[in-house]
Parts: sequence; C-alpha cells; structure tokens
Amino acid sequence: MDTFLQVTAYGLLQGGLLALVAVGFSLVWGIMNIVNLSHGAFVILGAYIAWEVQGWFGLDPFLGMFVSAIVLFCVGYVIQRYLINLIVNGPVFITLLLTFGINMALIQGMNLVFTADFRSIQTSYGSNSFEIGNIRIPLVRLLAFLLAIVITFALVAFVKRTRTGISIMATGMDRGAARLMGIRARHVYALTFAISAALAGMAGTMIATIETFDPSKAGKFTLMAFVVAVLGGLGNMYGALVGGLLIGLVEAWAGQYLSGTWVNGIAFLVLILVLIFRPNGLVGKAFYAARVEI
Amino acid sequence: MLEVKKLCTGYGRIQVLWDIDFAVGENEIVALVGPNGSGKTTLLRAITGMIPVKSGSVDFLGESIKGQSIEEIVSRGIAHVPEGRRLFPGLTVRENLILGAWRTKETSVDHVVDLFPRLGERLNQIAGSMSGGEQQMCAIARGLMSKPNLIVIDELSLGLAPVVVDEIIQALPSIAESGTSILMVDQDVDAALTIATNAYVLEAGHCVLSGKASDLLADPRVQESYLGVG
Ligand SMILES: Nc1ncnc2c1ncn2[C@@H]1O[C@H](COP(=O)(O)OP(=O)(O)OP(=O)(O)O)[C@@H](O)[C@H]1O
Ligand SMILES: [Mg+2]
Repeated sequence: MDTFLQVTAYGLLQGGLLALVAVGFSLVWGIMNIVNLSHGAFVILGAYIAWEVQGWFGLDPFLGMFVSAIVLFCVGYVIQRYLINLIVNGPVFITLLLTFGINMALIQGMNLVFTADFRSIQTSYGSNSFEIGNIRIPLVRLLAFLLAIVITFALVAFVKRTRTGISIMATGMDRGAARLMGIRARHVYALTFAISAALAGMAGTMIATIETFDPSKAGKFTLMAFVVAVLGGLGNMYGALVGGLLIGLVEAWAGQYLSGTWVNGIAFLVLILVLIFRPNGLVGKAFYAARVEI
Repeated sequence: MLEVKKLCTGYGRIQVLWDIDFAVGENEIVALVGPNGSGKTTLLRAITGMIPVKSGSVDFLGESIKGQSIEEIVSRGIAHVPEGRRLFPGLTVRENLILGAWRTKETSVDHVVDLFPRLGERLNQIAGSMSGGEQQMCAIARGLMSKPNLIVIDELSLGLAPVVVDEIIQALPSIAESGTSILMVDQDVDAALTIATNAYVLEAGHCVLSGKASDLLADPRVQESYLGVG
C-alpha cells in the first residue's frame, strides 16, 4: 500500500509538470489549429538555457527558468511571426511538416552546441525531502509541481481576464472577425506561440532539476503534450491540467507495475484510440469547430 | 469621407464587381440595394480589405486605403458589421462589445446599451447562446462601440422582429448626426430608402442606378423590382 501511495504521489507531482508542458501546446492547437511538433524541443531548449545560465552565473534554476522563459518567448515569437504565419492558412499537413522541420533543426542545433550528453541541473537542496506518513516527497519535485500549477492558473487568468487574453480567444474563434475589430491577428498568433514556448521553457527547466535531459528527449515531450492536450480537449487549459495529472499517474503506475517499454506504449495506445474514435478531441470539439475562415 | 472610384474586384479569378463608383459623405446614411448575388457583400468586403481590390481607388478621409490590411483600414475608423454577424460565439456579450472597441480601448458599454436596452440585461450571457435577433443587436452594437467615423452594416435587419427593426432604423439618423456615417445593406428596401440620404442599386456586379434615396424611392424601375409596386 505504501508503495502504491508513494508511486501515486510521484505520479501526481510529475503530472503537474506534464500539464505545464501541455498547456501551451494545447493553447496553440486550439487557437491556431497548429499541432506544434517542435514543442518538445522548446522544453529541452529551456532546460539547456537554465543549465548554461547556472554554469555561467550560478543562477538557481528556479530563477533561471525565467531566463529560459524570456529567451523562448522571443524565439517563439520570431518563429511564428516570420515562419509559421506564412503557411498558417495551409492544410494541417503543411503546418505539421513545417513544425517537424523546425523540430529537426532545433534538435540538431542543440546536438551541435550542447552535444548529446545527458545532463541535469543540480542544486544544493536537490536531495532534500520530507515525509508525510510513510510517503517521501522530494522538495524539488514539490516546488516544481506547485509552480507548474500556479503558472497554469496564471495562464488561464491571463487568457480569460485580460484584454489581450480575450483577443487571443477571439482570434481563435473567428480570425476574420477579430481582424475586423482591428486586432492584429499575426501579432496575436505570434504572441500565443511565444507564450506557449515560454511555458515549455519553464517546464523544461523544472524537469531538468528532477531528471536528466538530452536533445533526443524532445520527441517524448511532444508526444506527452499531444496526448495530454487531446485528453483534456484542444485549447482547454484546465483540461490540460487534468489530462497532465492523469497521464502523470498512468505513467507512474505503469512504470511501477509494468516493464519500462510499456510506459510509452500506453501513451501511444491512448493517442491511437483517441485518433480513431474522436479525431477532433475528447472535449475540445465545440471550440475547435467555432473557427470560421475569411 | 469614403470615396470609391472604378472599383473592380472578385474572388480569385472570378470577377464580381465592375467599375463601381460611389461615395459616403459626413453624417450621411447610404443604402446599397440589389438582388441576391449582385455583389453588395462583396463591395463591403472590398472596402474594409477583407478581399483585395483588383483595380480602381478607395479613399477614406482623403487618404487611399486600397491594398491596406483589414487591421489598418479598421484602425482608421471604419467598423464593419459583416454578413452572418460573426460574433465571437464563446465570449460573453460584454467581451464581444469590448473587443468592438479594441481600437479605442473604450470599456464603457453604456452608449450602445442605451440604443439596445435588451443587451444591457444580457451582458454576461455567452453571445452564441442568444437568439438570432439578440445576436444581431449585439453585432451592430459591437460595430458602434468604437464610435467609428463610418459603420458598414451588411444585412441590417437580418433576424430582427419588425418592431426592433423600426427602432434601429429610427435610431440611425441620430447615429449619423453624432458623427458616424452609415453604409447599409438591407432586404427591406422600402425602409432603407426611406431613412437613407443617398442610395445605389447594384445589379450583377454593376451599379445601375444611384442618387438621392427619395428620388430612387419614386423611380418606377426601383418600385417595380424592389418594392413590389406597379
Ligand atoms: N467567398 C466567395 N467565394 C467565391 N465567390 C463568392 C464568395 N462570396 C460571394 N461570391 C460570389 O460573388 C457574387 C456576389 O455575392 P455577394 O455575396 O456579394 O452578393 P450579395 O449582393 O451580398 O447577395 P445577398 O443579398 O444574397 O447577400 C455571387 O455570385 C457569389 O456567388
Ligand atoms: Mg450579402
């Protein structure tokens, strides 16, 4: 029983991070109808930036993640504004191809610059933990989890409550009508993508304090983001939170009670089942269908 | 205020409008009438840049707006209430209205609620869940939120009960007086020509008649084709 509770606690903590990885991915999908295959590469890039910043300036990763966020915000903005915007009206296949290409370029770039060695971000308090009953909670994981939850809620508040956030939602519902209001849709798209990349960078930094990373892990995070986003409903940010926690749990349980390779297998299984039975997502359909062209 | 000369446009390679000339002056109400498919919506779309102008000129407040993006044109003070309303269905009425004032950052909705008291009761309702008529009021109110120099309204009375149409039509002259010129398309040609200062008749992409609305109202060709008289 204790093992089960321990695994469950780890799963939930991990799930919070997955939610933070997925929430930006889901936002981009919901608002722009772009399945961003380079999302996982942003996660890893965020980890490297915080790792470098710690190496050069000794900055704590929980502060360094804001540097990652700022850098990735800029990178994301430029990629969307000057690259993806050019084909954003194209068929889904074309956007998939482009983001796949960006993903390849980023991964190869990181391999060149940082090499393919495994790395992780160490802190002086990295091995601290405390116990609730018989369950051990590592401090760093708890911190990362809490931050992930706070950031997710902050994003929801931003999108639902601020003028800029509402303009993002409006552009997602009907881009032509949003432009008729004078909303600069290209800028809104770039901003949305930038926010998504910034969140990925923060998540990547926190993940790097918990586990090792290298460029080849990017694909895993893209897949996780995809599964979580589809489970939660496209563009549904609370859905991403719930989906993240769920996948975190499933991953932890499967990791404990099944052999290693099953973990990815189960994620794939969920993905395939969803694609077969609900190609438009479990909950997100209404939002998605609300898009009108012209 | 708005001056269009020899405008030609269409969709892709299909040309829909040929050599359209028309103008909207300060404080004017201009009606655009014509049968289905004659190109009224297309003309309005060309003015606000929703589709590109192939040739001709479009000037607004003395400057050319031809070839500019929708956002640029709108930011000069033209509001467009598009065909099919195009409200943001998942947002509340208040959010829709506030987005209508994106350009001016106005957050008070009082001046449009005065015009449509019905909306005042529904500010927090999701726009997509309102009745068709209420959505139409919301669409027009959204267009008026930024107090534009010119408002372009496609299908003004679509889905509205006759009483409400009357109310809106009655309100138009005071809107125009307050500095928002109106370019409108409406199925109710009689009402449109009664309220308008000037009017243009489109047929198959050509402007076949134009002049003072009162003159057109008396014109036998208009009476026969649009008013069911004679
Ligand atoms: N998006 C489009 N793509 C291609 N052709 C279009 C498009 N919209 C309209 N058309 C064509 O342009 C012509 C003019 O259409 P338009 O919508 O401007 O007519 P309208 O005068 O507004 O008619 P209605 O009174 O029915 O609204 C029609 O022949 C129509 O088929
Ligand atoms: Mg029309």
